[in-house]
Amino acid sequence: MTCRLYEEQLSSYLDGELPARRAARLDAHLKTCPHCRAELTALGGIAGRLRAVSSQVQVSHDFDRRVIRAVGYWHVTGWQKPVRSYLKPLVILALFLLAMMGAVWHFFTRPLGPPLPEPQPAISAVAPVVPGASVPPMQDPEAR
Amino acid sequence: MEDVVRPGNLSADGRLATADDATLVAACAERVPGAFQELLSRYRRPAVTLAYQMMGNLEDAEDVAQEAFVRVFQAIPRFRGQASFSTWLYRIVTNLCLGSRRRRKATVALDAVREPRASDSPSRQVTEALLTRQVLGAMAPELRAILLLRDQEGLSYTEIAEALRLPLGTVRSRLSKARTAFRQMWRKLSESGEEQS
Ligand SMILES: [Zn+2]
Repeated sequence: MTCRLYEEQLSSYLDGELPARRAARLDAHLKTCPHCRAELTALGGIAGRLRAVSSQVQVSHDFDRRVIRAVGYWHVTGWQKPVRSYLKPLVILALFLLAMMGAVWHFFTRPLGPPLPEPQPAISAVAPVVPGASVPPMQDPEAR
Repeated sequence: MEDVVRPGNLSADGRLATADDATLVAACAERVPGAFQELLSRYRRPAVTLAYQMMGNLEDAEDVAQEAFVRVFQAIPRFRGQASFSTWLYRIVTNLCLGSRRRRKATVALDAVREPRASDSPSRQVTEALLTRQVLGAMAPELRAILLLRDQEGLSYTEIAEALRLPLGTVRSRLSKARTAFRQMWRKLSESGEEQS
């Protein structure tokens, strides 16, 4: 069956991408072969079928907005540029002032002199001695 | 010589809308306000429809197209125009789609549409559109991509070779394979559909 050989060329033939001599041979075959003619028509119909679907696609109305948000709005529109140009130094100045205030606050709230020793827990405050209770009196273990 | 359009002074008088792609791309690279929006409005639809046919549903398609435009925006200052802008965009969209393996089955949509319209059978157009989506979904992604670039988007063989980074000979043979696969799958699915009804 010679059709198989020709069928492989139909796609390129359809796009005019087949070398002239092969195209002429295929031309001659197509005149005598209804099968290959039908195949060629079918292959040629694919584009129409694909476009019938793609023409129905409705892009969401907020698609551009989403893209522009993803890209970074100021990059695209440019209108925020002047705002940004003085926004950055302002942020730096604010951070610097905050750091200064922190330093000053730390300086004035720092305890003066050597740090006080940790206050020892007052036993009486923790375990008040209840008269008559059978709690043994706390003793320093090393004193025994 | 005075008429040379500089990307920098395009935005003020609204000439962006009439600028050719190369000028627009240059303006976009220089971050001329409005240039990217104009590029977006020109290529939004082809990017989304290509992604739609690759992915099988609109939600994933718009996600892919959005990611593609973000990449375009980031890389456009380095775009040297070796290929046309559209070929470059198609390349990005196709690669993103091929990288994403999320394509959902179009069969679901087919069933969903058939069900409520039992009284007046769906028009031949609707059935054929659903069948087309089903056939695309059943194809290997690489074959689907080349078929869409040629038969839906109308790229030349040279442009497809650039977009997919393939030798021309491979474009020719793979496209032929893709069309044959589409044709066979169409025949198979439409016959099985007739048996069911
Ligand atoms: Zn034949």
